[in-house]
Amino acid sequence: MFIVYHLIIFYLVSHFIWYLFRENEFWKRVSVALVLIMFLLRLFLIK
Amino acid sequence: MKGLKDRLISGLLLLLSLALCFFSTQKFREQHKKETLFPSGGLASREMLSSYFPGLIDTPGDTEVYIYGGQNPGGNILILGGAHPNEPAGYVTAVLLIENIQVSQGKIIVIPRANNSGFTHSEPQEGNLRGYSLETPGGKRFFRFGSRLTNPIHQWPDPTLYINPSGQKLSGQESRNLNRCYPGKPKGYLTEKIAFAIMEIIKKEKIDLAIDLHEAAPEYPVVNAIVFHENSAELASYSLMELQQIGFEFRLELSPNNLRGLSHREWGDHAQVMAILLETANPSQGRLKGKSSLSLIIEGKDRNYSKAAKFGLLFVPFDGEGIPIKLRVARHLAAIKILLSSFNELNPEKRIEVNHMPSSSQVKLKGIGQFLCPPYRK
Ligand SMILES: [Zn+2]
Repeated sequence: MFIVYHLIIFYLVSHFIWYLFRENEFWKRVSVALVLIMFLLRLFLIK
Repeated sequence: MKGLKDRLISGLLLLLSLALCFFSTQKFREQHKKETLFPSGGLASREMLSSYFPGLIDTPGDTEVYIYGGQNPGGNILILGGAHPNEPAGYVTAVLLIENIQVSQGKIIVIPRANNSGFTHSEPQEGNLRGYSLETPGGKRFFRFGSRLTNPIHQWPDPTLYINPSGQKLSGQESRNLNRCYPGKPKGYLTEKIAFAIMEIIKKEKIDLAIDLHEAAPEYPVVNAIVFHENSAELASYSLMELQQIGFEFRLELSPNNLRGLSHREWGDHAQVMAILLETANPSQGRLKGKSSLSLIIEGKDRNYSKAAKFGLLFVPFDGEGIPIKLRVARHLAAIKILLSSFNELNPEKRIEVNHMPSSSQVKLKGIGQFLCPPYRK
């Protein structure tokens, strides 16, 4: 169960990072970084 | 292709996110550290709960069991604190016993963090503090303020409907509530395994009287109460009279027969012990509380509760003075002391003799910290 959960989160995290480098607008990138923090924390099972 | 500057900015943002995660992780990890307890010289041995039920070995549900006395046969008593880690008076009372008592006849077993996993997280959306400090003569001692339920990191996911080991249907998250999981299951959820291990300790140690220390919100009807299994009706009513004589008002509540999975019901039904659950009033876990703060935990002051009391909505008196934790701990100590002396009166062939138990009047007067070890003692 945890592996499936981890894989889903990992998949999303990789997409966010990809988006972070692809996007041109500065503020959009900042928003991505903010969302990314939540998902990184989940990836390490923190809150 | 994008410019180097753009990539640099993206890279910096990524690094920043990672750095923020790193620092918040440090604080988060501290939640999983247990605070050290300093048992009194009267400690006979310290076991782990898993030594009574190996199914808990290397799980976050394993917890310390402190055993006092046992040299001279007599009554065997189990005292449980921290079944609900958001009820600080129950936990602190168990710690006070561990750090003070000596047992010259019979045996006392104390489990201070009955739901160890519940201490490793906080209730979501409550804005609760990580913990609170109590002032001892040699410095401050920190104690965790946890959650009523087992950490979802340790037991996940919750079922939609939880059918507990006694067959009662409850909402899914109650599968993480230790006091709904008795008598437990050796191959069930983590919380059910903890409940099962506690049943094992009751049976293997031949416990005569088991006391579960709790707190409840002041708007909850069963508060400042002694909840008793019909096995211990005589003990409970006898103790009530004694407690009233020294100025403590308690409600006597018979454990309802159709409310399954609770300690005061299943301990008595499945292990035939005298089962007692004690409740004090804790505003920091109530639904009417204002902002969570240290003064709410330690002094038990809250404006909303004072207001609710004026409208007659509470089951305990509540004024601007609040209900400080030292009063709640004093109440638990008084009840335990009287329960033990009543137990002796009713079972003279199974006496229990405890020395150096902090007195409720002294705790009320001097505070809890005076009876705790300073933080540095090894
Ligand atoms: Zn409770």
